[in-house]
Amino acid sequence: MDGKMNTIVRLCEVCWLSSIRTQEYLLFKDPEDKFHPSPDVLTQSVGLNITDTFNCTAMTPEQRILLGADWVWAVLEKNTKNPRIQIAVQVLHLPDKETVEENRVPSDACSESVQIAQKESSNKNIHERIVDFCASIGKDCYTLFLFMGKKNDKGNIYGVLSNNFEAAIGKCNKIDRAFIENFFKGSRYLHTPSGMMQAIIPN
Amino acid sequence: MAATQDAKGKGEGGDQNFDYMFKLLIIGNSSVGKTSFLFRYADDAFTSAFVSTVGIDFKVKTVYKNDKRIKLQIWDTAGQERYRTITTAYYRGAMGFILMYDITNEESFGAVQDWSTQIKTYSWDNAQVVLAGNKCDMEEERVVSVDSGRLLAEQLGFEFFETSAKDNINVKQTFERLVDLICDKMSESLDTDPAVTTGAPTAKLTDSAPPLQQPGCNC
Ligand SMILES: Nc1nc2c(ncn2[C@@H]2O[C@H](COP(=O)(O)OP(=O)(O)OP(=O)(O)O)[C@@H](O)[C@H]2O)c(=O)[nH]1
Ligand SMILES: [Mg+2]
Repeated sequence: MDGKMNTIVRLCEVCWLSSIRTQEYLLFKDPEDKFHPSPDVLTQSVGLNITDTFNCTAMTPEQRILLGADWVWAVLEKNTKNPRIQIAVQVLHLPDKETVEENRVPSDACSESVQIAQKESSNKNIHERIVDFCASIGKDCYTLFLFMGKKNDKGNIYGVLSNNFEAAIGKCNKIDRAFIENFFKGSRYLHTPSGMMQAIIPN
Repeated sequence: MAATQDAKGKGEGGDQNFDYMFKLLIIGNSSVGKTSFLFRYADDAFTSAFVSTVGIDFKVKTVYKNDKRIKLQIWDTAGQERYRTITTAYYRGAMGFILMYDITNEESFGAVQDWSTQIKTYSWDNAQVVLAGNKCDMEEERVVSVDSGRLLAEQLGFEFFETSAKDNINVKQTFERLVDLICDKMSESLDTDPAVTTGAPTAKLTDSAPPLQQPGCNC
């Protein structure tokens, strides 16, 4: 099959999945209903090049390992189509028993190139990799660790977003649930999805 | 070249079975067609949809030359400026570059000089470069003549092809030429530097990228 088409198909699946997830999340977590997402907005912000201002790119299996991101949302500049703001998303599934997400491999991509990617990036764990990646771009690229909740509690989605994880990573080089929850304790870092979008997307 | 035969990963199972590993990079402005070019070469496919590459990506392809299996690690870099830090980190250890511009885009041609400077700054001295003027199927929209492409290549000391990922023109030839250049360079340095014939020549050539240690797949 056409490799690029394959990527695009995968991309749509991921975006579709994430929009369902986001919907669940919004329904579940935004009882104050501050965000007022129209169905349009929701598809735009997670869809593939749906409009001239938002897009979502799903990473290839190799990129997931090299960059640590599962997909990247971007707010685009109208004229140049260059990203103005990016959010690189790393999805962390919380199994019932906690396991560290390091060195996970997408199940469909157990291939030679995946091994090479792993070798290429073996000096960092996957959380450090996404933080490094975003830091290499600059402050307009945010890392979002998105916890999808436990298998039997799908509504339990939460995440933490920052463009400055690299500052924390020096002190505590392992990012795990405890690390993330530490962020939740400081209210400065706590965002509803609406707060998150409002905080980082300039008008 | 024969002297490098010892440094190989033979006998460990299918995919590790190769004589040489070459790391190649494709660079150039955004939208010139780097990803399309690699897709055409590796998967023989093309799509007109544009999904701008995020950061970096790569593919692996094995080619044969004089009964030798050469594994190509082909790194597809993002052309957008914001990814420059991450992409230049991958220049180190690259043995060959395809520097691409778009014959319908003057700006991308104007940037070739800068890209060439990036190669000089971040890669090793012996890296080979082929300049590729892509989208040569779009003759009506051409703004960069074949001659100016060829002239610039000469000035920079690069080989030159006009290519089309869409119509599959000179794609394979570009990669094959780059591989030839690297092989030539390799035998050249083996001739002039007897030390490498007794040492670990592959290490010299791939800059700490010997064949993979682990042949098996862990998942
Ligand atoms: N007509 C024509 N179109 C091409 C050719 N190669 C690529 N394209 C189109 O040009 C656009 C950009 O191609 P990409 O391969 O994604 O460009 P890129 O250089 O990888 O861009 P970045 O990832 O942003 O650096 C896509 O719409 C392709 O379909 C070609 O040879 N001929
Ligand atoms: Mg690309």
